[in-house]
Amino acid sequence: MELTNREAWTAAHGMIFGALFLLAFAGGLAGLWSLRPEWVTRAGVSERMLRLKVGVTGMALVAWVTTITGTYIVYPWYRAKPPQGTTDLTHYPKSLLLATSGKAEWHKFGMEWKEHVAWLSPMLATAAAFIVLYYGNQLIVDRRLRWAAIVLFVAAFAAAGAAGLMGAFITKAAPLQ
Amino acid sequence: MATSTMRSDGGKRIDEVTWTAEELDIVEKPNGPAAAALLAAAFGSLVMGILTTGAAAYTGFADKLNLQHRVGPLSGKVTFAGLAFVVAWAVLAPVLWKRDLAWTPVAVLAGALIVGGFTGTFPKFFDLFAPG
Repeated sequence: MELTNREAWTAAHGMIFGALFLLAFAGGLAGLWSLRPEWVTRAGVSERMLRLKVGVTGMALVAWVTTITGTYIVYPWYRAKPPQGTTDLTHYPKSLLLATSGKAEWHKFGMEWKEHVAWLSPMLATAAAFIVLYYGNQLIVDRRLRWAAIVLFVAAFAAAGAAGLMGAFITKAAPLQ
Repeated sequence: MATSTMRSDGGKRIDEVTWTAEELDIVEKPNGPAAAALLAAAFGSLVMGILTTGAAAYTGFADKLNLQHRVGPLSGKVTFAGLAFVVAWAVLAPVLWKRDLAWTPVAVLAGALIVGGFTGTFPKFFDLFAPG
């Protein structure tokens, strides 16, 4: 049971950071959604707020780590051009997809979407995290602030979700080895 | 004390507690800092969309975005979109820090910028501008 360097980085990018992102999103969204005046007690506020702050900050950090490792470590391997005369394209996923009948769209649509839309996520998640960290308990009594954070949070997740889904399909169609 | 009310929802009696800022020891802050963060992230998203579509439309522009050869034009897109986010935040935050803004225009503007970002990064959209 071994992973090559490329497989390890791809797994870290997609599965480890991706899973952490999902976990942080689920916790953060539940925390934000339930941060309503009628659902919190004075005693529960501080514990709940700490969990929320950790969740949203974690999500923003993981979003940056995932996009940076994806763009600067994994993506160059994906897009590398095979040397002239190479017939086995196994180690060149982009070229393999483009050369395989019925798989070109995984690059032309899937990868082109993934590599760009993913970058909206860390920016939106950072803004959501800032709102939660800066305003804290005020989110309980200020419905508009809470909704601003929720919308940013969900938009960040939508961007990362689209990228993650495409990434999973592309890895299935042409794995990095 | 928090206001405690009882309401009926489809025959179910529901307790509602409404906290005020003072009861939770909150010193209410103006919404300017939140607006600055929101608008900066939305602007960064839009820049990403514009750069992506621009690079699809003009090969020469894509070449200029090729800041790191291994990554290709994506390196320029993410660098400049990230810079746009940081610079916009750095400019807006001090200006809006102590201000309370009307939420609706901020939300509409931010929403439009974010939708622009999502649209500009969608292949079926930016491919429309790709040279034949």
